[in-house]
Amino acid sequence: MNDNKQLTGNTSPQPPQTPQPSTLSTLFHALGTVSKWVLGGIALFILLVIIASYLIYRSVVATGADIEVDQRIGITPTQIASIKQIGEWEFLSVSDEEMVDTTRNRFFADDELVRIYYGTLRLGIDMSEVKGQWIKKEKDSIIVTLPPIKLLDEKFIDEAQTKAFYESGKWTDEDRQMMYERARQRMRARCLNRQNIESAEQNASRQFYQLMRSMGFSQVTIRFEGGSNKVKSEE
Amino acid sequence: MTKKLLQPFILLSAFLLMACGGKEKASEPSPVIDTIPMMVMQIQKCAKLYTAEYQVHKIVTHDDQMKLKGSFLQKEFDITLPMGKRKIAIPMDASLKAYIDFSDFSEKNVRKRGDKIEIILPDPKVEMTSSKINHQEIKRHVSLLRSNFSDEELSIYEKQGRAAIINDIPKMGIIHMAQENAANTLIPMIEQMGYPQSNITITFRKKYTVSDLPSLLDQKTFAR
Repeated sequence: MNDNKQLTGNTSPQPPQTPQPSTLSTLFHALGTVSKWVLGGIALFILLVIIASYLIYRSVVATGADIEVDQRIGITPTQIASIKQIGEWEFLSVSDEEMVDTTRNRFFADDELVRIYYGTLRLGIDMSEVKGQWIKKEKDSIIVTLPPIKLLDEKFIDEAQTKAFYESGKWTDEDRQMMYERARQRMRARCLNRQNIESAEQNASRQFYQLMRSMGFSQVTIRFEGGSNKVKSEE
Repeated sequence: MTKKLLQPFILLSAFLLMACGGKEKASEPSPVIDTIPMMVMQIQKCAKLYTAEYQVHKIVTHDDQMKLKGSFLQKEFDITLPMGKRKIAIPMDASLKAYIDFSDFSEKNVRKRGDKIEIILPDPKVEMTSSKINHQEIKRHVSLLRSNFSDEELSIYEKQGRAAIINDIPKMGIIHMAQENAANTLIPMIEQMGYPQSNITITFRKKYTVSDLPSLLDQKTFAR
């Protein structure tokens, strides 16, 4: 018995549907068909392009220009104007800074110059002012009479260290000289006071006492001239 | 289905937005920069015997020309611009003093043998105690196309001049003079203590040479 059944309609079998190939797989397939020499050539070309791009970039980046002005001074000799033998004992140094400014009124805007000056005032005694027999020895005791404490040098500003803080407008050398004088007077007024002079006297007494004790004297008396009552006496 | 997928995303977004919000932290106050230096008075007790003083004079000169410097395609160039020159000469005077520091002087520095006495002094030191610019004698020439020397530029040249003076100190022989003068100052003093001049000897730690000078310069002498 024939049980075969006849199907009606479209009877042709449907072919199996294959998925659409992707771009990547197409590319890999294409690469697979290309020879190795061509692949190598392409890789070399890409490498050369990268190297050339880097060299051009470096050349462009290294290009630049600046306007420069050399700020170094010329070589000139230092001349010794004078040599002096001195005998100055410094017992107190006072370092000070002073900011000095000067202003000039103008129509539109004021001109201003501000500078910072540095100086060190040295207080002590000048050995050229000691009177005869200022050291009196009596057996094991010694009496030292020192001249009064004073400012050892009126030139105490280190003007070459001056800091230029602010400048607007034009200023002359006379203006700077005037500012220096103002700084000097301010420092002198601020630092040369009674308190500092007394401190220098006390230190002078102590230092000379130690010096005389080092020399072997057991009884030491330190005095000052000019009516100063600073007396240090130790036994 | 779509709603079920969206709900967790909405919740997550809500949480994230809450985390990003909130109070802004109070910005920390920016540090105050004091551009004006403190006016400092530094008082120092000491015991220095200055024995020699050198007054030195130096003319600080400077001339400059504007130049265009740079590189093109890795080739360097240096072109002088036709803007003209500037020149300046600044005379300055400085005072150098050599001293002996007696702060650490003690019995160890004194040797006695009967009626003879030997004083061993500490190393002498050199200090620049002052400098002065001679403003009236400054000479300058500035081309029309250039700007005048500013106060800051003058300060730079003066500082360099000061440093040049310090570099020239070893050539001046100031240490040898300081040693001689220390003896001339101390011997009369010791004589008054009762020692005859022939029994007094002043010695130093060693004989100093030019190579020792850097260690004998006072630290305050160097520029700020």
